[in-house]
Amino acid sequence: MISEDPLRDDRGNRDLSITRPRDAIPMDPIVPTATQPATSVVNAFLVGEAMVGGYGRGPSILNGCTIAAEKGQIAVIVGPNGAGKSTAMKAIFGMLDLRQGSVRLNGEDITRLSPQDRVAKGMAFVPQTRNIFPSLTVQENLEMGAFLRKDDISRTMEQVYELFPILREKRRQPAGELSGGQRQQVAVGRALMTQPSVLMLDEPTAGVSPIVMDELFDRIIEIARTGITILMVEQNARQALEIADKGYVLVQGANAFSGTGKDLLADPQVRKSFLGG
Amino acid sequence: MTTVPQTRAIATPARDSLRTPLLFLGMGVLLVLTGFLMGANYALLVVNMGLVSAIMALGVNLQWGFAGLFNIGVMGFLALGGLAAVLIAMPPVTEAWAAGGLRILLGLLLGAATVVLLVLLRMRMAPSRRRMAVMIAVGIAGFVLFRRVIDPGIVAVEAVTPAATGYLGGLGLPVLLAWPAGGLLAAGAAWLIGKTALGLRSDYLAIATLGIAEIILAVLKNEDWLARGVKNVIGIPRPVPREIDLQRSPDFVEQAARFGLNAVDASKIWVNLLYMLLILAVLGLVLLLSQLALKSPWGRMVRAIRDNEVAAEAMGKDVTARHLQIFVLGSAVIGIAGAIMVTLDGQLTPGSYQPLRYTFLIWVMVIVGGSGNNWGAILGGLLIWWLWVIVAPLGQLVFGSLATMMPEGSFMAQRLADAGEQMRLLTMGVVLLLVLRFSPRGLIPER
Amino acid sequence: MDLLNALVVFLNFVFVPAVSYGAQLALGALGVTLIYGILRFSNFAHGDTMAFGTAITILCTFGLQALGITFGPLPTALLALPVGIVATALLLLGTDRVVYRFYRERKAAPVILVIVSMGVMFVMNGIVRFIIGVGDVTFADGARFLVSARGFQEWSGLEEGLAIRSSQAITVVTAAIAVALLFWFLNHTRTGKSMRAFSDNEDLALLSGINPERVVAITWIIVAALATTAGVLYGLDKSFKAFTYFQLLLPIFAAAIVGGLGNPLGAIAGGFVIAFSEVMLTYAWRKVVLYALPEGWAPDGLLQLMSTEYKFAVSFAILIIVLLFRPTGLFRGQSV
Ligand SMILES: Nc1ncnc2c1ncn2[C@@H]1O[C@H](COP(=O)(O)OP(=O)(O)OP(=O)(O)O)[C@@H](O)[C@H]1O
Ligand SMILES: [Mg+2]
Repeated sequence: MISEDPLRDDRGNRDLSITRPRDAIPMDPIVPTATQPATSVVNAFLVGEAMVGGYGRGPSILNGCTIAAEKGQIAVIVGPNGAGKSTAMKAIFGMLDLRQGSVRLNGEDITRLSPQDRVAKGMAFVPQTRNIFPSLTVQENLEMGAFLRKDDISRTMEQVYELFPILREKRRQPAGELSGGQRQQVAVGRALMTQPSVLMLDEPTAGVSPIVMDELFDRIIEIARTGITILMVEQNARQALEIADKGYVLVQGANAFSGTGKDLLADPQVRKSFLGG
Repeated sequence: MTTVPQTRAIATPARDSLRTPLLFLGMGVLLVLTGFLMGANYALLVVNMGLVSAIMALGVNLQWGFAGLFNIGVMGFLALGGLAAVLIAMPPVTEAWAAGGLRILLGLLLGAATVVLLVLLRMRMAPSRRRMAVMIAVGIAGFVLFRRVIDPGIVAVEAVTPAATGYLGGLGLPVLLAWPAGGLLAAGAAWLIGKTALGLRSDYLAIATLGIAEIILAVLKNEDWLARGVKNVIGIPRPVPREIDLQRSPDFVEQAARFGLNAVDASKIWVNLLYMLLILAVLGLVLLLSQLALKSPWGRMVRAIRDNEVAAEAMGKDVTARHLQIFVLGSAVIGIAGAIMVTLDGQLTPGSYQPLRYTFLIWVMVIVGGSGNNWGAILGGLLIWWLWVIVAPLGQLVFGSLATMMPEGSFMAQRLADAGEQMRLLTMGVVLLLVLRFSPRGLIPER
Repeated sequence: MDLLNALVVFLNFVFVPAVSYGAQLALGALGVTLIYGILRFSNFAHGDTMAFGTAITILCTFGLQALGITFGPLPTALLALPVGIVATALLLLGTDRVVYRFYRERKAAPVILVIVSMGVMFVMNGIVRFIIGVGDVTFADGARFLVSARGFQEWSGLEEGLAIRSSQAITVVTAAIAVALLFWFLNHTRTGKSMRAFSDNEDLALLSGINPERVVAITWIIVAALATTAGVLYGLDKSFKAFTYFQLLLPIFAAAIVGGLGNPLGAIAGGFVIAFSEVMLTYAWRKVVLYALPEGWAPDGLLQLMSTEYKFAVSFAILIIVLLFRPTGLFRGQSV
């Protein structure tokens, strides 16, 4: 078998997995979509509407799902492993090509913008994996988060330290030497450094103890209160839906259920299939 | 895995099947043209070395093209093959053997025994401080003993008529035996190297093999008792008649006259033709064997491993063992080519081995020809060798005339006068870069 | 028994040469490691990059000398060094533009980039030989010795002399300055930090708005400075020969790998590890031992473990040992 692209054909050499980890985020160019959906029904602050897309030339992972988050509210995506939650987040952030559908921010169509441009528009994203700079200190991680900003960042950094006091203590330590929960805080802090209007979090509580998880959720609520829109993917569906203004259950890349967090928690079918009774 | 690539491979069967013969035809035309312009004998010399290069390229292709092993120690294996030619074909120097041959042999045995003992210790003893201490002690004791035994032997051997011999000589066997022997010698070295280095990532393996090649060359250059070092071994016996003998034979002169050739030209051409037949026979055999091997289940497994090492390993394939096998086989082929090359030259000159010429140039051949395709490797060998030979005089022509326009003896004139030679390297680099950019699979892509 | 003289012999023949050689290797290895960290491939053209920078510097030195400009007791080459650096930076940026960028955009596998760098190596090799030829070139001028053997003997009253050549002193001082500048840049400037961030996690760097092309360009410029400096220092210390620089690839890579590819601190440590091992294993210890041991105790023979021609074997053996026992290098490199 010969791979399609001779330049990526590495003849099985082991170095590929080292320099370019396989779980790296694919940065596919946005391919202009042929069919735009009819006038939208949702008019939220951030909308990914009727999204269809997949990795490279592979099969579609997203099959027309719609995700929306209102200004200053928390929207949560839950669903089984491999449902396409992370993929949906990447699609909204412009990291993979949408075959159909659109993404809008504050009414503006941003479907074709690159991730960097979306950062400039006030979006921030904390990926599920590899979401910190391990050899940089905590403080440098935060500085890099604010790389695009030209103004004084010390106030924002102060806010992040207030939000996550442990980071202040560890600010001179390489982020790679922190515990899993502390790293997640660094990752969220880094994303906040751009002073975003939208914060997207992919499983911020992965590998975090229950107590820290509650902490983290509290912090996220705090962040939302400052007017930042939050879109997050969570495995701890019950707790996440409790704090969610809006919840989406994704199955095989399509919306299975959606509603307010309370509604979903109350829905017997959702409880049975996704919340373990 | 996906089936997408296959559909493309069969999309243009007609063009593909014609491509290879056409390319070889073009190569043939180039060589014939060279013959007309520069003389038949010159062209034959180019062809012969091109064919030897093709064998080298087949060896590298086996390792890189089919198994993805990044060996840039080609020069070392070539040199080992060359050493075999000396060790097999040169007459033994009895005086040197009497002076210290046995001491050297004994010393080498002791050295080998130390290494074996160390490996055994490492395998048998549990990892601990004690093992470390024992290994260090054994290592030092072995080394001291080795030097004590071997050093006087070396001094004695090298003192035996140093201007003419000063080494142990060879076995005095027919030189053709040196060809398989060169393969064996290279294979043995490759086995040792593979055992230690094959688990490494590709760029580490590359650096490791690069280092090995330098070490092999250092040994050849410095161990005068072995093959006279930089004093070179000349006059290695030949498998074909000498030109001078042919010219003296009335029979041959008569035959030559019948073709309208004078005896001197005819003898050179005849000798080169004989060499060509020998090399072609080896090339054909290597090609046949590698094609058969690669179409066998073993070959399919090797390629499956190359394409996805992780998956192959997960399927229970012994990746390391396969890699070791193909590394040894490929190196053996390179060693054979090394022996042939020294036989052609009639001399072993360790000082002339340079990585750019004997490692990286072979790589250019493989990449340009088409990694993973044996025919591609052969074409690459012939084409790149031809280019290498032809670029220097061409460059000389161009730059030489430029140089004459400069003031006599000036810095620029000197640079330009030498430029022809440097053009070679530049051209090779540019060719490699162009192929990698515009035809990354090479001239004859892998099927 | 005369420990003081033994020490002086050791310093003179082992320590001082190894320190300056180590500094040269460290500078070379830093270049290799930076390219690996940012561009993620092992650059086989590095030795020839060093040769190119040195060749330009030499030509410029000759030009300056012809004009009668010298640098007092310091070698004129130091004056010419900036020119060499700029020329090399231009060459590397041009190469990146014409060659490497294409593969970066296509996200080519690292091993492809290594092969591409082989092509670049050929080209650079040809260019270097074209501009300066294949022969040995000596271009050191200025004062020969900082401390001369005789001067030291007279000053200390010892039997043995300690000579420190100015090229050795200059090597160490220049290397220290270069390394200090580099680390200051990497740790204290926004651009430097963004380079480290890019090396750490390329995707996240992109998400943070770090411009990869800028990072790459700055990397090449720094590499040009390091490679040229390393090459010039090596040439001042020994002499310039195109082929020798190509051969430096092996100890340089050994240093970078031993230290942990992608780790600048490791590259420096690796450089000294390799240099000291090379010098110590190929030095004939007889004189030191003669002084250090009581009369008549010293064994006969040169006490040389291997002849200097085998110094590659030393780099190589250390490389293999480290790779087998600690594959990520002494300092944790990027490779996992
Ligand atoms: N980089 C990638 N390239 C190709 N396919 C991918 C890639 N990443 C994910 N996929 C595929 O897309 C599908 C959805 O993956 P995704 O990561 O979106 O799931 P998820 O819902 O986030 O799961 P989890 O809860 O485990 O994080 C899976 O089938 C996966 O194999
Ligand atoms: Mg996920």
